[in-house]
Amino acid sequence: MAARQKRYALAIDARKCINCKACSVACRAENRVPLGKGRNWMNEELRGEYPKLMAVFEAEQCHHCADPACVRVCPTGASYQRPDGIVAIKDTECVGCRYCVVACPYDARFFREDRGVVEKCDLCAKRVDRAELPACVETCPSKVRVFGDLNDPNSKLHELLSKRQYRLKKPEAGTGPQIYYLL
Amino acid sequence: MDRRRFLKFAAGGAAGATLAASVPYLEPMLRKPQLKTERREVPTTCEMCVNKCSIIAVVEDGVIHKLNPNPESPRSRGMVCARGNAGLQQVYDPARLKRPLLRAGARGEGKWKPVSWDEAFDFAAEKLKAVKEKCGPQGTLWSSTESFQETFFKSLGLALGSPNVERHPTLCLASVNLAYSLTFGTVPSFDLLNARYIIMSGANRLESFIMPDTVDLVGSTTERKARLIYLDPRFTVTAAKADEWYPIRPHTDLAFILAMLNVIVGENRYDKEFVATYCSGFDKLAEHVKTYTPEWAETETEIPAKDIIRIAREFADAAPRALYYAGRRSSWYRDDFPMRRAQAILNAVIGNWDRQGGMVPNAKIALGEYMFLPWDDPTAPRVDEMDKNFPLAAKGDGAYLKMRENILEGKPYPVKAWMIHKQDPMNALPEQAKTLRMIEQMDFIGVIDVQMSDMAWYADVVFPESTYLERQDPVEVLAGILPVVVYRQAVIPPLHDTKPTLEIVQGLAKRLGLSQYFDYTIDQWIDAQVKELPLDTPLEYLKHHGVYASPDGPKYGTTLKPDHRFVTQSGKIDLYSDRLREAGYDALPVYQTPMQPPAGRFRLILGRKAYFTQANTTNNPWLNTFAPENVLWIHPASARSVGVEDGDRVEVRSSVGSITVKARVTQEIRPDCVFTMHGYGKRSKWQSRVAGAGASDAEIIETAWDQVSGGGAFHETFVKVRKV
Repeated sequence: MAARQKRYALAIDARKCINCKACSVACRAENRVPLGKGRNWMNEELRGEYPKLMAVFEAEQCHHCADPACVRVCPTGASYQRPDGIVAIKDTECVGCRYCVVACPYDARFFREDRGVVEKCDLCAKRVDRAELPACVETCPSKVRVFGDLNDPNSKLHELLSKRQYRLKKPEAGTGPQIYYLL
Repeated sequence: MDRRRFLKFAAGGAAGATLAASVPYLEPMLRKPQLKTERREVPTTCEMCVNKCSIIAVVEDGVIHKLNPNPESPRSRGMVCARGNAGLQQVYDPARLKRPLLRAGARGEGKWKPVSWDEAFDFAAEKLKAVKEKCGPQGTLWSSTESFQETFFKSLGLALGSPNVERHPTLCLASVNLAYSLTFGTVPSFDLLNARYIIMSGANRLESFIMPDTVDLVGSTTERKARLIYLDPRFTVTAAKADEWYPIRPHTDLAFILAMLNVIVGENRYDKEFVATYCSGFDKLAEHVKTYTPEWAETETEIPAKDIIRIAREFADAAPRALYYAGRRSSWYRDDFPMRRAQAILNAVIGNWDRQGGMVPNAKIALGEYMFLPWDDPTAPRVDEMDKNFPLAAKGDGAYLKMRENILEGKPYPVKAWMIHKQDPMNALPEQAKTLRMIEQMDFIGVIDVQMSDMAWYADVVFPESTYLERQDPVEVLAGILPVVVYRQAVIPPLHDTKPTLEIVQGLAKRLGLSQYFDYTIDQWIDAQVKELPLDTPLEYLKHHGVYASPDGPKYGTTLKPDHRFVTQSGKIDLYSDRLREAGYDALPVYQTPMQPPAGRFRLILGRKAYFTQANTTNNPWLNTFAPENVLWIHPASARSVGVEDGDRVEVRSSVGSITVKARVTQEIRPDCVFTMHGYGKRSKWQSRVAGAGASDAEIIETAWDQVSGGGAFHETFVKVRKV
């Protein structure tokens, strides 16, 4: 029997996030992301007035959409989607036109002046291909991110999404985002 | 699409390219993709903070590519924090210390002459010998902070005959350690993972420091619905995650704890059987807390009496899976010790001792010891006069601030040489002007470090240590609920002309005529340590795994036997302490209404962010980006009252100095407090990112210390704020 096709995705449990920045530095280290740019980032929000305050920390990165706008607009085929769902960029094909940067509803891409190419989160595809977790997922002290295969009924991700409610960001953009924010 | 973001990226290009050109470490990524010829993984131990998490270094073509968590260590909970990840930058920092340096200009002028190791050793040994000749061996001071090779450095000072080894605890957790030691005979761990009800005051565990407790607290509060009650004048990450946050009036935590005791004892909610079997002095405690009513505490703390009563009841009801968490940096007030001891007593009476979800005495793993030639004990008394000033405190650690006062006054004897091992007293001590005066009156200052700290900046000779990824260290036992043995092996050979501390110590010892005390290699030392481990080939195991964890899980209740003797005066848990009374202190914690800032002034409170915590990583490029300078948090109403708006530059003045920083007007702090971060405004130009950025809190914090432990009292400073 043929192996089931994998579909990688992330769940993010923002309740557990303590805004410690480990994910940010781990990503910078693993992917050599230049200073001033980031493949992942934190949305921080403070609400209320002293002493009734509330803070939310929510990690974000490329949503590895099911129907990625960035891939649709790419004129050279540099932006592509792997069969396992990971949206990635072939450096050698990228001409730096930045259509994809504009097309992404999540603002997840940036242009690298030093290399003349666009860059973004690829879920640490190299690590994933070695069966390692993406750097941000592995390093997290409180394990905010859960990485897994949506098609594997035995995965922690599958279990979480079947038990917990979640929300998607900007589903109206029509790209089919695959980061599941647990409620 | 956010246009601004797009443009910002475009503008950042030149900076990115310059950076890559100046950081050799970033060069590989700019080359064309090439096949990796070599990739290896080396398990070792982090040194970016004192937690010693187990990590796996990934080395590609001789360059450390990434530091990943080592899942084999139950201690590090499968994590590497921001600082741990940024450890690479310590190794590949182009501005790190690369060879021994002799001062070539005035102290602090920043002129250096690179020299050979022999020259550096000869120079330092001559100076140390001269001071020894002039003042006796006690005229040399040896400052160090916690690290795996600290033992060699301390031994050199002691072997030379100096009693003055001054360690970091009195700038950190001396009061909490002493309070728990005097109550239970030991400092326990807190089983946050299994607790159901947690009170935290004087600790910002989710933000100030990422440690196993941080991970466990997130787990227990989110997965298992533990309740977290949090007291802090500032809205921190821990406050954001707490079930209840009370912006308590600073310096009144003791009133809150005493009122909780009043309720729990008064309403018979304490664990009677436990108290009767294991505690001593309960009747005196019951009498003592009668007057500390919740209504009284409300006026002190500004926490409503009804909440204090409810929290006390809920806390006792949740026992033994309830705990009042002990802080880590407990250098807060002149009377810090009674507050920490009241916490210990509160924990004791609900019977959470040695129970799951409560406080647990640390389990250990036995190591062997290398038998080195012992030296004669120093004969002179300590310069900080511990016996006289802090008779109950840990003598081997000293009392940092009293030491500085005495040295400045030249009593009881002159101290004229100062050796410092990987510590930065310039930033760690309050009232920097006094530290500078202490520096001025030294005939000799030598610093061992990996980077040009502010302390190194004022040294006469700087010995560059190999970083933690370039050297092998003695193995270390991390005691705790889950004890482990961790091993640090060299991941790569030293990049520069640096040495591990043992070799620096041996180089000096040889010239000081003390070689016989250091006649061993690091390998011999480690072999002696590991041979006691229950493993066939222990060193091979550690080289392969990086960590050895005891196969036993957590053990609870090992001390819960009626005949168990606690290492206290009474042999039981000392609720009432005769030892304290005999030493002239209060046997039970007595509350004294503290001074609050007068009109027009604010209390300066400190706090930490885990990507820095101490002052030594603010210049790390991957971390500095999160907070390039420190700012002054001030409440909007307070800002209005002094005519300050968000982003204004403000002068913050105390009785000992003033600094200028930017104001951050925020709801996240009490109106009577201001807050700023630590580790900025460095004097060392080699720390280029923070040399001109922000200002050092050490310049304005006034000198004060806790009367019992000698620990610094860093939250006693009132400041004026004005726009400049």
